[in-house]
Amino acid sequence: MPTLRSLLPALAFTAIYAAISLSVSNSYYQLVLTLVPVWAVFGLSWNLLSGYTGLISFGHAAFFGIGAYATALGQIYFDLSPWFLIPMAGLLGGVAGLLIGYPTFRLQGHYFALAMLAYPLAILYVFEWLGFQEITLPIKRDNPIAYMQFGDPRLYTLLALAMMLATILLTRLVERSRFGMALLAIKQNEAAAEAAGINTLAWKLRAISLSGAIAGAIGAFYAVVLLVVTPQSVFGMLVSAQALTVAMFGGVGTVWGPVIGSVILIPLAETLNAEAGSRFPGIQGVIFGLAVVCVILVAPEGLFWKLRDLHRKRSAPKAGDAQQAPASTATITTLQRELRRRPASADVVLEVQNLSRSFGGLKAVQDVSFKLHKNEILGIIGPNGAGKTTVFNLLNGFLRPDRGKVLISGRDMSGQKPHAICEAGIGRTFQVMRPFPRMSILDNVVVGAYVAAKSDAQARQLAANAVSRVGLSAVAGRLAGELSTKELRLMELARALAGQPRILLLDETLAGLGHGEADEVVTVIQQLARDGMTIAIIEHTMQAMVRLVDSFLVLDHGAVITEGEPEAVTRDSRVIEAYLGKKWVAHAPH
Amino acid sequence: MNRRTGSSITRRMLLAGASSAMIVSRTSAQGPSEVKVGLLVPLSGLYARPGTVMREGAEMAVDHINAQGGIKALGGARLKLIVLDSGDTTEKAKNAAQRMVAQEPDLVAASGAYLSSFTLAVTEVTERASLPVLTLSYSDLITDRGFKYVFQTSATAGSQARQALPQLVKLAETASGKRPKTVAILTDNTAASVASAKSMREGLLAENGLQLTVDETFTPPLADATPLVQKVRAARPDLLFFLPTVISDAKLLLEKMNEFGLGQGKVPTISFGIAIAEPDMLQTVSPELLQGVLTCVASWGAKGHEALIAELKKRYNEPWMTQNAISTYGDMWVIKEALERAGKADRAAVAEALHSMDGGPSKYYPLGEIKFDDKGRRLGAGMTIVQWQSGVPVTVFPPELALAQPFWPKS
Repeated sequence: MPTLRSLLPALAFTAIYAAISLSVSNSYYQLVLTLVPVWAVFGLSWNLLSGYTGLISFGHAAFFGIGAYATALGQIYFDLSPWFLIPMAGLLGGVAGLLIGYPTFRLQGHYFALAMLAYPLAILYVFEWLGFQEITLPIKRDNPIAYMQFGDPRLYTLLALAMMLATILLTRLVERSRFGMALLAIKQNEAAAEAAGINTLAWKLRAISLSGAIAGAIGAFYAVVLLVVTPQSVFGMLVSAQALTVAMFGGVGTVWGPVIGSVILIPLAETLNAEAGSRFPGIQGVIFGLAVVCVILVAPEGLFWKLRDLHRKRSAPKAGDAQQAPASTATITTLQRELRRRPASADVVLEVQNLSRSFGGLKAVQDVSFKLHKNEILGIIGPNGAGKTTVFNLLNGFLRPDRGKVLISGRDMSGQKPHAICEAGIGRTFQVMRPFPRMSILDNVVVGAYVAAKSDAQARQLAANAVSRVGLSAVAGRLAGELSTKELRLMELARALAGQPRILLLDETLAGLGHGEADEVVTVIQQLARDGMTIAIIEHTMQAMVRLVDSFLVLDHGAVITEGEPEAVTRDSRVIEAYLGKKWVAHAPH
Repeated sequence: MNRRTGSSITRRMLLAGASSAMIVSRTSAQGPSEVKVGLLVPLSGLYARPGTVMREGAEMAVDHINAQGGIKALGGARLKLIVLDSGDTTEKAKNAAQRMVAQEPDLVAASGAYLSSFTLAVTEVTERASLPVLTLSYSDLITDRGFKYVFQTSATAGSQARQALPQLVKLAETASGKRPKTVAILTDNTAASVASAKSMREGLLAENGLQLTVDETFTPPLADATPLVQKVRAARPDLLFFLPTVISDAKLLLEKMNEFGLGQGKVPTISFGIAIAEPDMLQTVSPELLQGVLTCVASWGAKGHEALIAELKKRYNEPWMTQNAISTYGDMWVIKEALERAGKADRAAVAEALHSMDGGPSKYYPLGEIKFDDKGRRLGAGMTIVQWQSGVPVTVFPPELALAQPFWPKS
């Protein structure tokens, strides 16, 4: 929840802006003052979807235009007032967001952006075909206020400002909550987010409908200000581009970005139109374009982030001193390397039956079956390409099995979405690490905690516990982008732990670590097992594995070669053959 | 910290804006012997070319008026043209209009804004500022809103088709000896084209004994005209109504017609609007392909305008006088006339004079009078039919304005 103090800048900005606009009597400057918050809100609505999830939308004009036409047509045909129609337009925008989002979120990256581009262009032609090439909001001479037709243009600015403040507050609220965390996680790594128990589709749909609702409402208000609605002026490419321009200029993924962008660019464009337009027609576009290009070159992430980085750099030396002590990373007391010989529990927590998956002609996993007992550490080994990671992907839902079953505590979960499997108690880490680099360690872990937490506070509590279990408490505030490989591995472990799983799937957690570092991580894993966690681990480093695991499962060409206790498995000739080739079998001790 | 930086930038910028506003309003105070008239037209972007021609027409008129002694009722005050760029979007046009009324408080009237979408937005502003605006845009909607300060000098889109159709049928009958029976309509989906095509479909064709055999609407710009032309070839209509707004569409279709053996009069082609008669056409289409093509426009350089046409050619190097030049030229004279009657340089008085004006037969707009009805439409507003003849679109109808005899392409 945003505190009053964190909202102070927004409130102060709005108050100053309102005071300035009240003192401007020139109706043209007032119009520009009205358009600044209008485009800022549109930029904020774009930012809410694209800034936080990273799914670039080239088609926000779709929502904007639907709002604008809803208001114009509602007033023309049903004599409804914009006071009523603007909220309605918000509702319509939200519904449009759902309808557009549901099919389009199947696409990712550039494909999503291009698909979004198509919606406003398609709707544009629908409105032309319906014969709404030009419509105007009827002038109301009798009861203008009831139809939002003010004699004093300052009222429009105040109204726009109120909508902007509301949007800023809403964005702040989203930013600080589970909602914003989920969106940020999706932006930085959608697969990791899904594996951390975030229902990415549901959160993305919430984001696009909220974003669509804001765009629809501000589109409706824009129609009231412009008074004339044409398909080009509300569904056109330039409208979608305007949202991108103000947000990218000011800074993506922050509430201030679109506001800064709008406050600078809209008056600049207008001044250029006014001053240069009639003298050197066309020059305004050139200057405007150059200005945007220059700023993007100097500050590719937008002005806000550039200013923040500059500010940070200036205050960095001081912060560095303070951080020196804990910067010596995680220190973990090396535990005795005792061989664990715990009685194998009879409880089966995970049972895999005849799991198979093919990619075209390649049988990546064939008829794999095994059982994972409570409190057991199972090592899954095999040469490169044996299908180890594919098994994990089938277990946690990234892939659907062609055949076979995955039973978690007796319940068949095969083919479920990753976030559902995460909720059922399976956490995982990745071979290629998937941190959220712009977030702190603690925030990275909080993302994983939401699956088990009811409130934001509880999530932070669970996350802090998980961070301390892996020994990273001292550096919890650092950005994930600045960490060493070992710290990242531990952080990923913490993220998986924060969701309070019963089973952990660890995919090459020791890869890329030096000898000493690997030992530290092994110690942490051993401690987890001692605390009652059930673990399946993929690993290449045999030495570490032999010490760690209770039993091995050996895969080659997607099939199980053998399974059993470490001592037996490492002597098995089939295992040696799979790893080293036939001629080594003879040399192996028998 | 950074947040504070953001808002201080804003404050500084807005203060700069406010102070420049004061500078502008101070310089705009001028001597009483000058009367300001606005011209708000697109000078940048997609529609810059027609906007420029409108400015040429306005400049010529203002020069002529001033050379002939200015506004006599105001002691020979000279007209001063204030030109504003409406840009290429509805929003820019509306902003420009707001700038015009806010920063030029002593304007008495204005003319604009070419595209009817722009005119609609501009007049929403000028209406609230009680500034009279004359326009050549011909969307019916412009004068259907109950506005008091907008005056439409062209016949509206609906009325143009109503006037043109009987004339075209008569022309075809006298020239070819046989009355046309079937027609095809190929229209783009822009506002003006849609309005003209709609009135034809909904009764006008039937009233004139014509049967619609092909009816196709396309979205500009066309990528390929083949499917459209194939339909025309299959139906073989007696007349083809072709309503493009974009020059490239006109070129594509005419070339494709020629390729299919339907061009150069095999199927007489009639257009609505100015696109097909713009000077730019000749840069992409050969005069042979255009020979005989007719278009119905609200106004054109015609009989009685010979000296103006010559001056426009000499001064601005324009090959002929389009609607944009002649109509805007006429607008300035109408404003001058209203000022003479008002007797003072005041926008309310000028608006009142325009409403009550009875200026006799129109000189620069085709037919009708210089008199406006309650809606602001010019009484008896006629239209012209223009035909491409040897590489020049010349007025061939109405007879009293015709610079040449129409010919019907012989098949």
